[in-house]
Amino acid sequence: MNPEAQNVWNDARQRAGAAYAEARRRVTIDPITRLEGHGRIEVFLDDAGEVERAYLQIPELRGFEVFSIGRPAEDMPQITSRICGVCPTAHHMAATKALDALYRVEPPPAARMIRELIYHAFMLEDHALHVYLLGGPDFIVGPAAPAAERNVAGVIGKVGVEVAKRVIAMRRRLRELIAYFGGKAIHPVFGLPGGVSKPLAPADLPGIRTLAADALAFAQFTDQVFHDLVLKNPEYVKLILSDPYTHRTAYMGLVDSANRVAFYDGMIRVVAANGREYAKFAASQYRDFVAEHVEPWSYVKFCYLKPLGWHGFTDRDDGGIYAVAPMARLNAADGMATPLAQRAYDEYFATLGGKPVHHTLANHWARVVEMLFAAERMVELAGAPGLTDPKVRTLPTATPTHGIGVVEAPRGTLFHDYETDPRGLITRANLIVATQNNAARIALSVEKAAKGLIHQGRVSEGLLNQVEMAFRAYDPCFGCATHALPGHLPLIVDIYGSGRRLLHHLVQE
Amino acid sequence: MILFAATDRCPSSLNVSPDPMSKVIVLGLGNDLLTDDAVGLRVAHEVRQRLVGDPRIEVKETAEMGLALLDLIVDRDSLIVVDSIQTGDQPPGHVHELEPEHFPEHAMRSPHALGVDKLCKLGRMRGLSAPTHVRLIAIEVQDPFTLGTEMTPEVQDAIDDAADLVVQRALEFAQLPAEEHAHGEAR
Repeated sequence: MNPEAQNVWNDARQRAGAAYAEARRRVTIDPITRLEGHGRIEVFLDDAGEVERAYLQIPELRGFEVFSIGRPAEDMPQITSRICGVCPTAHHMAATKALDALYRVEPPPAARMIRELIYHAFMLEDHALHVYLLGGPDFIVGPAAPAAERNVAGVIGKVGVEVAKRVIAMRRRLRELIAYFGGKAIHPVFGLPGGVSKPLAPADLPGIRTLAADALAFAQFTDQVFHDLVLKNPEYVKLILSDPYTHRTAYMGLVDSANRVAFYDGMIRVVAANGREYAKFAASQYRDFVAEHVEPWSYVKFCYLKPLGWHGFTDRDDGGIYAVAPMARLNAADGMATPLAQRAYDEYFATLGGKPVHHTLANHWARVVEMLFAAERMVELAGAPGLTDPKVRTLPTATPTHGIGVVEAPRGTLFHDYETDPRGLITRANLIVATQNNAARIALSVEKAAKGLIHQGRVSEGLLNQVEMAFRAYDPCFGCATHALPGHLPLIVDIYGSGRRLLHHLVQE
Repeated sequence: MILFAATDRCPSSLNVSPDPMSKVIVLGLGNDLLTDDAVGLRVAHEVRQRLVGDPRIEVKETAEMGLALLDLIVDRDSLIVVDSIQTGDQPPGHVHELEPEHFPEHAMRSPHALGVDKLCKLGRMRGLSAPTHVRLIAIEVQDPFTLGTEMTPEVQDAIDDAADLVVQRALEFAQLPAEEHAHGEAR
């Protein structure tokens, strides 16, 4: 560990936290928000009061990287799963895969299948939370509904309490599956370099099969709900296709050997804004393709495609800005690996005007397509021979140096990159989380809303709503930030005039 | 301090149709890598030791928050949330006990519990059976910002008292007669 660097980070963090807490005291708000964590946006105006730049703040992750230095690499699946209360399983899995690479060890087939089974169960339960509860207010309830209805109660009112109970029961059962392998700890503990900690007992296989079958029925049911409540309404489809929520960027996602969407493992594929394959590379090459751009007014590091370069916050077909998350994954692939998901994939592109889809709000539908895939894959894995093989660990023997792991988290591509000394103690750790991959495109969305709705220093009605809708479609995960701050925080927009003078402090809800 | 020990063992067999819910759930919230922010988790851990074998009360530590907590609280009669809080009105280590009507002015500074009471109300409003008895036991903390695995001494020393209070409330709630869950209640 490098205590000096940690102290510097902690000091800065504390100052930021204290200043933030102070600023919070000046506003009176209802703190309930559907966003997981807080979104903080800063808008800078020029002398004429027109929007020069809008930024999104995502301040946290560097601290964990410093914190991990000097610790045993095997602790990383546990440390990194604490970055975020929302998607611990994704960090746990990316870290575990980085350890496989670090120790150059291949998990036995049963271990790989168990990891995949857990991971697809996690994707399904996380997507279900978003489709019904987090994103539901925008589409299930609807953007035009009264503010008082655009919340979880509104969603339950619309879908009915029986559906709500079904969602809750299914998420509980999927989490039981994760707990079966990972323990009922706060965070999962199943990933080890070269395998998993526990095999599947043959006696428990029927239970897994029943759960997988029920999960598939649930995903199909969700697809039906989405059709009935969203797609049958032409206004919603028009909204998805509308200009404020459209950006032409590149798209990134993991694909299998046939270029189909993959969550657990595969090659990283990038398609350009025109839909053509731009690059396909292994996780170990990510540093050749992903670079981070730094802006003077933001802590955020904006990822872009290194060979294409940084051209500023603009939509352009040859630009380096790219997106991740469900819509990007569907764009970056040629299809789905399972039949029902493939059918849904075809319908999705046919309805939304062909590939690639550039409409941010399409993420909600893409999430439903992915729920079908996650559930179908669970059924396949539950029926696969060898799942109960007791051999679930290949013991590492190599001397560690460097390992990179990648998975598709619910919110997009997640990279973990560790270097160690020969004893396996971390000397450098770099994490790129989904929201960092998306940060530049989210900035485009924020800026588009700001430029459309702020003129001559005046803010039009609807700014926060438009920003919030775009935001929520990406499902940016600020869970990593919230634990350090006094609140489960809503969307905050600070607008600065020339001379960096704070003009407006807007808080959503 | 044991940082990465599982608080329960893996279930010995797969139970994908969980048993009927216990009446009372105690939720310890926080992040055990952020110094005092761990206190909700530590108190819950202590409470579990003291309530071992009581089927009426489930104790759970979680890093989740907000809507993700919904499936943990639905179908329970009573909910006790244990979290860190920074009011600045009390010294570190002070144990606050808040009833739902007092959540709004404090909840903002109790990061993980935020919205839990609202979630219960919204759930009940639409016919889900969410807890009717809700308490927030919140420990005033000094430093929930710094990455670290040791709590500050005052907060560490408060664990016992906070656990006493949580156990007392949990046992009281467990003795209350079973709730008629109010379906379709107006508010």
